[in-house]
Amino acid sequence: MSSATGSGAAGGPSRVGSAVDAFLRIREASIVVVAILLVIYFQSVNENFLSKANLETLSQFIAASAIIACGEIMLLICGEIDLSVGQVFALAPFIMHFANTAGVPLVLAIILALLACALIGLLNGLITVMLSVPSFVTTLGTLFLINGFTLTISHGSPVQTGGSEAFADVMGAWGYSEILWAFLIVAIMHTALRQTRWGLHTIATGGNLTGAAEAGIHVNRIKVGNFVLTSVLGGFTGILEAFRIGSTDPLAGGTNIMFLAVAAGVIGGTPLAGGSGTIVGGLIGAIVLGVLRDGFTLQGINAFTFDMIIGAAILVAMVSNIHLGRLRGAGARR
Amino acid sequence: MNADALRAEEIVKRFGPLTALAGVSMHVKSGEILGILGDNGAGKSTLMKILTGFQPQTSGRLFVFGDEVELRSVDHARALGIECVYQDLALVNGLSVYHNMFLNRERLRRFPPRMLNNGSMRHRAREVLDDIGVNIPSVDVEVERLSGGQRQAIAVARAVSSDARILLLDEPLAAMGARESALIIDLILRLKARGNLSIIMIMHNYAQTLDIADRIMLMQRGTVTYEKAAGETSVPELMEIVRREYRALRSA
Amino acid sequence: MSEQDTDGFARRALMGGAALGTAMAVLGAGIRQARAEMPQHPKWRFVFVNHVTTNPFFGPTQYGIQDACALLGCDFQWTGSQTSNAAEMVNAMNAAIAGKADAIAVCLVDPVAFNRPIQRAMEAGIPVFAYNADAPKAGRLAYIGQDLYLAGVAMGERIAGLVPSGKVALFIATPGQLNIQPRIDGAQDAIKKSGKPITIDVIATGPTVDQELSVIKAYYIGHQDVKGMFAVDAGSTQGVSEVMRDQNLPSKGIKGGGFDLLPRTEQNIKDGFLDFTIDQQPYLQGFYTAMEMFVFLASGGLSGPAEINTGLKFVTKESIDPYLSTQSRYEGNSEAAKVIPRSGPIAI
Repeated sequence: MSSATGSGAAGGPSRVGSAVDAFLRIREASIVVVAILLVIYFQSVNENFLSKANLETLSQFIAASAIIACGEIMLLICGEIDLSVGQVFALAPFIMHFANTAGVPLVLAIILALLACALIGLLNGLITVMLSVPSFVTTLGTLFLINGFTLTISHGSPVQTGGSEAFADVMGAWGYSEILWAFLIVAIMHTALRQTRWGLHTIATGGNLTGAAEAGIHVNRIKVGNFVLTSVLGGFTGILEAFRIGSTDPLAGGTNIMFLAVAAGVIGGTPLAGGSGTIVGGLIGAIVLGVLRDGFTLQGINAFTFDMIIGAAILVAMVSNIHLGRLRGAGARR
Repeated sequence: MNADALRAEEIVKRFGPLTALAGVSMHVKSGEILGILGDNGAGKSTLMKILTGFQPQTSGRLFVFGDEVELRSVDHARALGIECVYQDLALVNGLSVYHNMFLNRERLRRFPPRMLNNGSMRHRAREVLDDIGVNIPSVDVEVERLSGGQRQAIAVARAVSSDARILLLDEPLAAMGARESALIIDLILRLKARGNLSIIMIMHNYAQTLDIADRIMLMQRGTVTYEKAAGETSVPELMEIVRREYRALRSA
Repeated sequence: MSEQDTDGFARRALMGGAALGTAMAVLGAGIRQARAEMPQHPKWRFVFVNHVTTNPFFGPTQYGIQDACALLGCDFQWTGSQTSNAAEMVNAMNAAIAGKADAIAVCLVDPVAFNRPIQRAMEAGIPVFAYNADAPKAGRLAYIGQDLYLAGVAMGERIAGLVPSGKVALFIATPGQLNIQPRIDGAQDAIKKSGKPITIDVIATGPTVDQELSVIKAYYIGHQDVKGMFAVDAGSTQGVSEVMRDQNLPSKGIKGGGFDLLPRTEQNIKDGFLDFTIDQQPYLQGFYTAMEMFVFLASGGLSGPAEINTGLKFVTKESIDPYLSTQSRYEGNSEAAKVIPRSGPIAI
């Protein structure tokens, strides 16, 4: 990212102008602007929007999709997608539950559950790269497989999530716990994408698959690794949510949370076609979606019209995002 | 020292029932430019992939500076000083110039561990580009914003930036206008002038090849059918050899 | 009697009459003045959190809430999850609390997920009622809905009456969910208690109507020796009735029944393909809940909460006609506000 160059001579206005220029040149700038506008709108319509109680609620609308988005974004960047992550979300807390009731201490049970998620990610990745099946198709299949498996081992019935109160608080039960986890994971993943070889090679794999392979990058390892990462993040989020609501439910997660995560990534500036992306943008995309869902609920919109309004709002947000992005592109060429 | 930098003996490559290379032998010395000509399907790209370690040969031997080698991988070939620039340039659009130049060879910090050392890479990229005289305004720019000639130059710069001794170029002037071709040709000749680099170029413009290369090698249907010093042959002569082949094929 | 006596009698009668008349008039005026007026109140906002917001079963419930709010001068929001997702419902409750709703009603389909949100709402001074499904120890003020376990017991008793012995299938959309699981528990207990030699297969059919139909059909094809097929939720009941029609099961002596009054269920009862269904009066689940909320708010919390069993009514071929012939808000199949005419004696 190039630094802003200001012309000192004219003083005030040009310094502001160049600061604005520098801001707009950041890839995530447009979606940040959209997010701020939305917050202003909802606060103006309902004074409770920025209240302490609602900020906590809002954070819970945002956290889950933000964490899963981190994984989906990495996959999108290297040219793949995982449709099954919502089912892994539902499965992981059950594995934790069964291990725990079988006598395994809770922390170990969580690790076991995450290992199972990693295996699922491995399965997704290996089928995709070894058998050359498009990841859309692979993960569509594993989506149903895992869903059926979860329903079978749970007999379709929800169970109470265990754990002491203190432990549960850390793992999602305390109001701000999930969003703090989300911030932590976003920070780690953002650094990984921008500052490690893994992130760079992920971009290369998505941007030019043959070229990256010719340069000697192990593109298959990159893809499989990102599938594992996404499944683990999905399972971890499912565990956090199970602690948050106190109930482990086979109907939890599902395609809804998966679409929210992918949408957060795409709204935040990661193109579906791959080759580039932004983790922080995914967080902001999750914030935009959370603000929309919480804001409209707060406003009293009824369930039937809710989806219509959310859909329209997402379209408006995306169109604004793209237009602001074009302004950014035009500005950078100046 | 005029030993061969790279020598290949009777390289054969079969893909199942298909024979791509039917026993190719070639050699190139340090400071020499070898131009490989031939139609599509003649086996030029296959030969290139074998010489760079991307694929193993079915049979035949390779010698690098006199030592026989079996290239296990691209990384292995690189370690021996063999670098290559493919036709698609292997550049990643979304990455900056310096990240592209260090692709899969990234420099890492000592602390925090495993983090990219962007500053060091930027600096070195700038150095290399200045050294070989390539004019790129900023190494931070994403390569998709550069012109075709600039992108080619960066791909070449990447190849020579790590003490390469043998450089292979696959169609370096493909899809380039006159002005950009001139820039790249200048770059190649400057590299040759250093004296310690062997350059093998796959080309299909006969005139340009004879201008740049010291020797040319004509490949047809998996074998080398003609080899001469550039000064000792001409475009019409080469074209006649090729025409003969067509006539033989059409009458068969 | 002498003429003087008759005159005196008439005079006394007239005076008495006049006195009575005046007294009546005064009383009447007093009564009219004592008639109640609705107290002035802000337009309170009731938030109803539901687990299947777009499921047609709750259409009458929403009409009930609307009608109550129209009567009471209040407003409501219908929100929650479309797919029985407890996390989404919890989010909706939290938003309602943060948005300072005046009262909240929620279907307690999960045994524990709503405990904390209910506690927080009550701590924030927002009354919380449960409707349609209840959870023990959830901390809500009152439950308005069917007594689910007893309804299941009643169905189990009827099944034991219809099917003397053999295999019986009990279909449930989403096992474990508190709005339907107690029914199947009650039915199984009642069947066991009857002592009859009946074996029970419990089958999960899934949360969507189309899926439910396929599952039920597949079950029958694989178990053609079944003696009765019964369901504990609206969608599965409709599915059972359709399979009974499709495969002409009554002619093979197979019995069927279930819950709730989806249109196809009603038609199949009328045409003799389903033996019974049980009405839990979803309109009342919305109407009475809104009423209780209003009374709680108007009385400053002194009055309002009361457990209301919205009923357990068996509907059979004999009593199905009025349901089919009318379309009303009470059944959820018409938006028009009208009074349904009725005459003649009332049958139990």
